[in-house]
Amino acid sequence: MPAIPLTDYLALSAAMFVIGVIGFLVRRNPLTMLMSIELMWNAGNLVFAAFARSFGDMAGQIFVFIVITVAAAEAAIALAIVVMVFRRRVDVDVDDISVLRG
Amino acid sequence: MDAFVATWAPAILFLPLAGCLAISFVGPRLPRSASAVLGCASVFLAFVLTALVAAHVWHLAPYDQSIDVALGTWAHIGALNIGFGLWIDPLSLVWMLVITGVGFLIHLYSVGYMGHDKNYRTFFAHMNLFVFAMLLLVMSDNFVWLLVGWGGVGLASYLLIGFYFDRVTAVLAARKALIMNVIGDVGIMIAIFLMFQHVRDVSFAGVFARTGAFGTSALDWIGIWLLVGAVAKSAQLPLHTWLPDAMEGPTPVSALIHAATMVTAGVYLVARCHPIYDHAPLAAQSVAVVGAASALFAATIGCVQYDIKRVLAYSTMSQIGYMIMAVGMGAYTAGAFHFLTHAFFKALLFMAAGIVIHNLGGEQDIRKMGGLVKTMPFAFWTFAIGTVAIAGVPPFSGFFSKDAIIDKAAALGHPWLFAAAVAAAGLTAFYMFRLLFVAFFGAYRGDAAVHVERVATMEIPVAILAALAVVGGWLVLPGDDVFGNLLGGAFSDVLHAQSLAEFNWTLALGTLMIVAAGILSAYLLYVLAPQMRENAKARLHGLRELLLHAYYLDDVYHVLFEAPAYAIAGACARFFEPDAIAGLPRGLSAAAGSFGALSRAWETGYLRRYGLTIAIGAALALYFAFTTLHAGGAQAH
Repeated sequence: MPAIPLTDYLALSAAMFVIGVIGFLVRRNPLTMLMSIELMWNAGNLVFAAFARSFGDMAGQIFVFIVITVAAAEAAIALAIVVMVFRRRVDVDVDDISVLRG
Repeated sequence: MDAFVATWAPAILFLPLAGCLAISFVGPRLPRSASAVLGCASVFLAFVLTALVAAHVWHLAPYDQSIDVALGTWAHIGALNIGFGLWIDPLSLVWMLVITGVGFLIHLYSVGYMGHDKNYRTFFAHMNLFVFAMLLLVMSDNFVWLLVGWGGVGLASYLLIGFYFDRVTAVLAARKALIMNVIGDVGIMIAIFLMFQHVRDVSFAGVFARTGAFGTSALDWIGIWLLVGAVAKSAQLPLHTWLPDAMEGPTPVSALIHAATMVTAGVYLVARCHPIYDHAPLAAQSVAVVGAASALFAATIGCVQYDIKRVLAYSTMSQIGYMIMAVGMGAYTAGAFHFLTHAFFKALLFMAAGIVIHNLGGEQDIRKMGGLVKTMPFAFWTFAIGTVAIAGVPPFSGFFSKDAIIDKAAALGHPWLFAAAVAAAGLTAFYMFRLLFVAFFGAYRGDAAVHVERVATMEIPVAILAALAVVGGWLVLPGDDVFGNLLGGAFSDVLHAQSLAEFNWTLALGTLMIVAAGILSAYLLYVLAPQMRENAKARLHGLRELLLHAYYLDDVYHVLFEAPAYAIAGACARFFEPDAIAGLPRGLSAAAGSFGALSRAWETGYLRRYGLTIAIGAALALYFAFTTLHAGGAQAH
């Protein structure tokens, strides 16, 4: 089986990341925004894994574990916040949650 | 260093301070009379110690009588080395004896005089503070600590003149005294700077040993700057206007500070700095001229004033003029002798006047007195003793000391100073007897009821001072100069002979004639022929107005200094202050505010806008990294 070249992984990762950014910017539902963030995390993970494989260096894969851990923590906090907001309001739109404006 | 003096001299200095602190901090928890006891006892103990130290020092050989008790180093900054030590010699001992001795009598007098005052404790605390500062002034062994004492007595004087702080006039008088005294403080400070510039030393011993290193011109300048200090503190021309106003203070304060001790600090300063003035002819001459002019000037004003304490204030200025003139001529012993007798009879006069004022419920105008011979015989007799003493009638003390100064003026060849001194002697006799006649003779003219209250604590000190005013002059009798011998140790190195033993009978007789003329004219005008007085009043109206307003010097100073200062301050308050001073912080706060408003608009609270900002920022950072940093790095390879 011919090896998939590194550039393909990178292109896929870039595509995932851009989709994540755009999703984060255009969607107003916090759950969708969280999923977009997950997409960006995983774009990064993919790059780590691809380079680890390409260079034969395990450090990249170890980094992926760390990123997954951090992403889990982030998701836990973000979901907690979203649940709290849901309890106070019926429909949730992040543009309405702007009490921290200057 | 002498062990006995080294042990007890610091105790003399710090006892009154301890008394002041005890009254201030422990006094509030003790009964009212405790502060009086503490104040009197601390000063009395200091007096006893001073007497013991004086007896000890005067038993030493004359050349051993200057004792420098070094207590430590105060500051050591590069070439400047300021020690803290006490200089005990006959000159400072004379002053210390008067400060603690007369000071104690006046403390005792205050127990009765201030008895009804609500700020009784404060009064004694301030009086003790004054005694401490004055002792520091005369005991210090360098110019810096002398200046500290000099400022300290100024502070105590300020506090005590303004003691009745609910009276506007008292507060204004206190402020005036402080400001004029600060002019003098600055003069002394400049003199200290000059000393340091020339010999890198500020101690008495160091400066006086090296007067040769200054050159006459520098010594003259130092002498003149010191004179500025002396003039301000001793109320001499032209900085005297605070003294008559200072009479707003309680009478014991006038007796202690503004008659017996503080105002003679200038005399002490010049006598202490005799190695400078002996080699600074111009400065010494200025001192003598200022003194003689002040003596005559104040005596003329004293002739027309109606406030009993103001008359005494002008007579103080006049008598200190004598002392300043004496020390300026180089007759230091004569000046110190007049200081001693003056402390006795002037404190006596003030305290006797205080009894009168006390009994008349605060009345000080002699036009509203009269006939007090019968109602207050004690006050009359003591006041009369003081009057004949100050007028210079033998054998009372003032005769000997004033005659010594007049003798010296003649002997040292100062015809003009001599003439001024003799004229002032005649005027002194005139205005003092005028005061006596108007206040005590004739019929009572006041509205207030005479309420005679005889208080032992007031009468005992007055009686002691009256006795001293009689016998104090006998320290110098013709051919027997006890006082000069006592002071010999301090003036062994001076230019002119100091002995007062030589008595010029012709001169004394001539002066006596003039004094008698003064007394007789006062008797004529104020007792025998009041009609003549009215005639003279009408004919000399212009002169009388001039003297009543003290030569309008207060008004001249008002126009020259006060009015411009107020104008400048007013202009600053109106124009400079709101725009320049307040404008700067106001502008800064406005700038910070608008910057805050600007950045606040950025904080929208829209999560997605933050995200966009981060994305754009990250994209720009990446672009920068790839194009600039990475490209540059590539070129370097």
